[in-house]
Amino acid sequence: MTPALRKIILPVATFLAFLGVWQFLSYAMEIPIYLLPSPVDIFHGGTRLGMTMLTNTGETLKTILIGFACACLVGIPLGVLVSVNRTVSEMIYPLIVFLNAIPIIAIAPILVVIFGTDMTTRLIIVTLTCFFPIMVATASGILDTPSEMLDLARVAGASTMTEILTVRLPHAVTFIFSGLRIGVTVAVVGAVVAEFVNANKGLGFLVTSSTAQFAIPTATACVVMLAIVSVLLYEAVNWIHRGFFGWSIKSNVGD
Amino acid sequence: MKSAASAASVVPMSTPEAPAGQPATPEPDSRREAIIELSHTGVTFETRKGNDLVALDDFNLTIYREEIVSLVGPSGCGKSTVLRILAGLQKPTTGDFWIGGGKTRQGFSEVAIVFQRPTLLPWRNVLDNVLYPARVLKGRADKDDRDRARALLALVGLEEMADRMPHELSGGMQQRASIARSLILDPKILLMDEPFGALDALTREDLQLDLLEIHERTRKTILLVTHSISEAVLLSDRVAVMSARPGRLQDLITVDIPKPRGPDSTARPDFHTYSQRIRDDIFGPRTKRDRAQ
Ligand SMILES: Nc1ncnc2c1ncn2[C@@H]1O[C@H](COP(=O)(O)OP(=O)(O)OP(=O)(O)O)[C@@H](O)[C@H]1O
Ligand SMILES: [Mg+2]
Repeated sequence: MTPALRKIILPVATFLAFLGVWQFLSYAMEIPIYLLPSPVDIFHGGTRLGMTMLTNTGETLKTILIGFACACLVGIPLGVLVSVNRTVSEMIYPLIVFLNAIPIIAIAPILVVIFGTDMTTRLIIVTLTCFFPIMVATASGILDTPSEMLDLARVAGASTMTEILTVRLPHAVTFIFSGLRIGVTVAVVGAVVAEFVNANKGLGFLVTSSTAQFAIPTATACVVMLAIVSVLLYEAVNWIHRGFFGWSIKSNVGD
Repeated sequence: MKSAASAASVVPMSTPEAPAGQPATPEPDSRREAIIELSHTGVTFETRKGNDLVALDDFNLTIYREEIVSLVGPSGCGKSTVLRILAGLQKPTTGDFWIGGGKTRQGFSEVAIVFQRPTLLPWRNVLDNVLYPARVLKGRADKDDRDRARALLALVGLEEMADRMPHELSGGMQQRASIARSLILDPKILLMDEPFGALDALTREDLQLDLLEIHERTRKTILLVTHSISEAVLLSDRVAVMSARPGRLQDLITVDIPKPRGPDSTARPDFHTYSQRIRDDIFGPRTKRDRAQ
């Protein structure tokens, strides 16, 4: 078995064994379906929804991606601004930390009242949940730039803007991507919260509505779907990092 | 005009006399054009505790066009500080300095720098790294710049590495690339801060000879900081010896070893005389007992 193959087969085998034990236990101990559905029950709960499952996944994905994009558009420039300009940093950093300290779940219903029950509110909630890790990662990357590189840029006659674009931001790429990896998983949580409080579609809405009807296998199937979406998005960010910014990944052993 | 006329009338004898007879000033001064002048330059750092650290004190040095001058001295005596002043990275707290008669700087086209470490940008390939100063100054690099960059890479023996990424190069190759980068905009002055310090002895020797060759061809003015006395003697027209804290100019030695220099130059007896003089300047003359053993 090649090492690459091991990396896939071992966790998959473990996972399948786990599912098997779970299935066996719920069958053997006759656990009621509304307490803990078995894997097969969950699978049926999902397939019963059919296309509805897919269209709602699409809705949630749309919310996640647009909200995440907004968070990048806000978080990255803000991270740069906060780390490059001392005055700006002193003015807004404490406010942003305060803003981040507010539990989004607590203010989500308030945001619905203020902004109404449409997409805008959901996007605001997603953006608020995930821009902070992106901003902080960008700022630490910008500040991490080796002083020799900055000296080089300065002797070459670079303006502050040129310095940021040609030295600081490229150096920060590794940091920014670790922020994006955290951000995208948090964005999934944000989207679900947004759909809990304000939606008539999406996976978060399906979870609340099916739970209200005691359709626990369906609700669980939606949760599984959310987990899959989250993993795929994480991998997508990784893939973009590797594909377009390969130089920023230190020698990847074994790949 | 007016002051010159009045001065002439007060001391009529002195003015015509001076250029005729005595070589009062050292030989290079009278012939050549000054390109760098540091006059009474001092740098004081404020430390955290509030007391001042005098890194450079009343430093005077004039460097002439096409010269190679080395700066040697004990660690922490302010050699890098001198270079950082000239590169515009550090403001002198006292005194003044001139470069090419003025103080305006146009990036690497005026003063270029080679750091102790190569400092290549890891996200650009070797060619783009060499082109970086041109990109900063002009916004983009045109065909001429690219051709020049390739020619410079050939000059330092890296023509085949143009499309590689920096991490694929050895330390010596990276330093060569950074030397090529420093020459891309044809600077008047080249500042080098221990450029070969981090390299092994063989590569170091190789690059020293490369530098002599580059100087032969391009006639740049070079100010070189080094820890190696033999490197200073081999490469320099003059060696400036600095004393430890507070950093001052202690001795200025003109090296009259004929050019072109090469590995053979180090075997000359006067090479050792120069080396010994610098060593004595730095460590103080050794006692007789030390020398006997
Ligand atoms: N940014 C700074 N803040 C405070 N002190 C500094 C700073 N830069 C340099 N110094 C001090 O100034 C003195 C001269 O430093 P400099 O780097 O010029 O020495 P150097 O001659 O280049 O030494 P070396 O040969 O070890 O490179 C040192 O004592 C150093 O501690
Ligand atoms: Mg130094």
